[in-house]
Amino acid sequence: MSQARAEIEPQIELRPGARKRTERPRGLEWALVAVAILYPVALMAGPLLAIVWGALSSGFGAMARQLTSPEAVNALKLTLLLSFAATALNTVFGLVVALVLTRDNFRGRRALNGLIDLPFAFSPVIAGFTLILLFGRNGWFVNLIDALNLRVVFALPGMLVATTFISLPFVARAVAPVLRHVGQEQENVAYTMGAGYWRTFWSVTLPNIRWGLLYGVSLTFARAVGEFGAVLVVGGGVTRFTETATLYIYRSLDDRNEVGAYAMVLALAVISLCLLWVMEYARKHAQDE
Amino acid sequence: MLKQGETKDRQRDRWTERRRDREITFSSHRSFHAASKWLCRSVALSLCRSVPPIFLSLSFLAGCGGASDSNGEATLTLGAYTPPREAYSKAIIPEFQKHWKAKTGQEVEFQESYQGSGAQSRAITSGFEADIAALSLESDVTRIAEAGLIRHDWQANQYRGIVSTSLVVIAVRPGNPLGIRDWADLTRPGLKVLTPDPKTSGGAQWNIAAIYGAALRGYAGVPKGDPRAARGFLERVLLNVSIMDKGARESITNFEKGVGDVAVTYENEVLVGRQAGQKYDYVIPRSTILIENPVALVGAYVDKHGVRRVAEGFIDFLWTRDAQRVFARYGLRPVEAATAQEVAAQFQPAGDVWKIDFLGGWKRVSQDVFGANGVYTKSFEELHTAP
Amino acid sequence: MNATRAREYSPASVMPLPWGRWSLRAVALIWLGVMIALPVAVLLEHGLREGVVRFWAEITNPIALAAVKLTISAAAVMTLINAVMGTLTAYVLVRYRFFGSRLFNSLIDLPFAIPTLVTGVMLVLLYGPQRTLGAWLEARGIQVIFARPGIVLALLFITYPFVIRTVQPVLMAIEREQEEAAWTLGASRWRTFTRVILPMITPAIVSGSLLSFARALGEFGSIVVVAGNIPRSTLTAPVYVFGQIESQNQMGASAISILLLALSFALMLLVDWTQRKRGGEHVAG
Repeated sequence: MSQARAEIEPQIELRPGARKRTERPRGLEWALVAVAILYPVALMAGPLLAIVWGALSSGFGAMARQLTSPEAVNALKLTLLLSFAATALNTVFGLVVALVLTRDNFRGRRALNGLIDLPFAFSPVIAGFTLILLFGRNGWFVNLIDALNLRVVFALPGMLVATTFISLPFVARAVAPVLRHVGQEQENVAYTMGAGYWRTFWSVTLPNIRWGLLYGVSLTFARAVGEFGAVLVVGGGVTRFTETATLYIYRSLDDRNEVGAYAMVLALAVISLCLLWVMEYARKHAQDE
Repeated sequence: MLKQGETKDRQRDRWTERRRDREITFSSHRSFHAASKWLCRSVALSLCRSVPPIFLSLSFLAGCGGASDSNGEATLTLGAYTPPREAYSKAIIPEFQKHWKAKTGQEVEFQESYQGSGAQSRAITSGFEADIAALSLESDVTRIAEAGLIRHDWQANQYRGIVSTSLVVIAVRPGNPLGIRDWADLTRPGLKVLTPDPKTSGGAQWNIAAIYGAALRGYAGVPKGDPRAARGFLERVLLNVSIMDKGARESITNFEKGVGDVAVTYENEVLVGRQAGQKYDYVIPRSTILIENPVALVGAYVDKHGVRRVAEGFIDFLWTRDAQRVFARYGLRPVEAATAQEVAAQFQPAGDVWKIDFLGGWKRVSQDVFGANGVYTKSFEELHTAP
Repeated sequence: MNATRAREYSPASVMPLPWGRWSLRAVALIWLGVMIALPVAVLLEHGLREGVVRFWAEITNPIALAAVKLTISAAAVMTLINAVMGTLTAYVLVRYRFFGSRLFNSLIDLPFAIPTLVTGVMLVLLYGPQRTLGAWLEARGIQVIFARPGIVLALLFITYPFVIRTVQPVLMAIEREQEEAAWTLGASRWRTFTRVILPMITPAIVSGSLLSFARALGEFGSIVVVAGNIPRSTLTAPVYVFGQIESQNQMGASAISILLLALSFALMLLVDWTQRKRGGEHVAG
């Protein structure tokens, strides 16, 4: 559905023959531009600068020391580990789902379409809660888990499932419109020239959708890195073991370790900015094709 | 792709043949063999991509599993409430590790989690495999026992399972500019009072119990022994509560950030905050409750991890002079008699100090005050949802 | 690659899906079933486990209702502001060319990339009572953090790109000719906007607003830092659910979760419907 559409669909291109549509603002129109720019600046620049200032206020050395402490390093490692794993899972299965949505035609397809967007409707806390209901001590799968001697909730597997769930729809939603847009001509041609399905997918389909795919992947990763509510509920916050970067920030504020918290915030902000750059790069290229 | 020994011509022929086949029959050649081959490949690929991470997390798991006592290493998981965070992680745990290594030669690694007492208790009953539960109030431990995870009588020793005590106090701004002296001052109109949320924080429950009990004992300016009056007093205080944080620690750090005029909190939170350089004063009301913090071995998980010996050693350690001195250093009043004598000068004297037994014990209080129709619950509801 | 052709005529696949359509289909269905259907099922089961009466009692709990009402009202205020400012920004971006407009366009998606907790921490750092700006505001009687303005501010930050990104494509597809025709007929700039452009972009504005509204309903990470947990003034529904999860009342958590879920899902269906009405991209399914 469409929350995803707003977030991730590459914009539709111009109809052929449309005239150039931008112009320089004149007179009063500058006021419009000014308002449009000042609003986000007022909204966002202030807080962003405040973080930079807060992190560096005790000096670069203190910040570096906080970021290299074992708790911080483990928290970052855990966040990246969870994000990579969740992104990998969601990429593969998201591609499959997108393929089924666009290339296949069966009765329950509309329902499938709706189902994919459901994680957007979940508040992260609720998502974590359902995992406890499923895998906790009184959950549905408690016998299975005991039999396998696994620990799911308040341990890493649970956090992985939570992160994967939260970032589920992005790849499917980014790739499906591109797949639809690209159409099946090229694939059919490849088929009639003798390529197998796998070969076609690898050499024809994938290159066609690569920018949409990159966009979806970067969105997934960004969402996974920023996850807080679900891992707070499911993780248990055990320092150095089930504490992600976001949980580390939350705890550091409690510990009166403001420098540590802001340093980690800065680290996450840098990661986010890199991801933003990748997102925009992919979106622009997807648009151009 | 050129097969072995194949020339370009042969390849072209091969492809032409294939193409001819397909052009004639557009429908697919549904080969089950091909289908399963493709499926296996895709599954394998997705597994390959996610196996390293899963491997890593499984190894984390194995590490978390708690090696058993028998080899030279053990892992203990501690589930505690928020205020003694520094006491445990900076002093008691390192000292215990040294002590245990010297005594048995075994290395002990600790995994610690600190959150609101109620939240921690809930987590343990939901599946958080803490070996030791160090919580704020008895009823949170009772909940774990009732879930079948604590099977022994954890209150069987001379201290009834209590490792440390504290008092409920009122934190004020430096110099006490508003002149707060006692509970009655909390009902001043316009005063902004901070206290955590009793749903998640043990500290908040102590706070509410203290206010209610002090009112019942006649120290709040309302008639002694009158439950209706006491409830009215509680409501007037709750009216002034502007923020309810998740835990005691969050509450006091917000107070430090300049929020609110006074904060109702643990004495040890204030003392630790002052150690950390924060500047505020505190007032011990004329009548206040003795906060008693229990510790218990979570038998079910301890046996599952095979760390019973170490866990019991840790719990016994908490009542030694060394550990009790550490508690005192971090603002908690020790229970061990000799240590208490030793550090008496550190703590301000208090007037009328009573225990939760005055209100009937935590079992009663959980029902009568915090239950669905409890005094607090109903007051809170009426206060915030009356038109 | 002729893009228009692909949209008008989409040839059926000559090459079928990997032999056995069911292999791919099965993978997709199992994945979605396990990952999505299962959590929803367990939530419904848990919430309704003790019967509808108990479910209703939990939902009509006064604190819960206050939390839901606050969430909805804060989200509504935010959505209104977002609709106006978002449309304005989209218009400026599409119609005007100025120094830095490309950079500006790229930075719009920043709230998508930033973790919500970080947003909350930043806002507290800037507007907290101890900080200069916060103290200045408090001296004038405006409390931002731990009060409703803080909640709306956090929500505005997080949903900033929504309306912009839904309106931009539609604006770009509008031909200048229509606008110019209106001008040559004597309409003022403003009149052109309200009579010609606005009707065309209204569905997009509506769907973007609904999306940001739905997003705001579930927001947790920033609110938990910025708000104060007091019912009717600063306790939102997701924070309430969190409190219920961590205390004695898991049933209450389930009940309100189901309510929130139903609300968000209904909103997303609505968005889908409006986009479909626009004759959008769904039709060729």
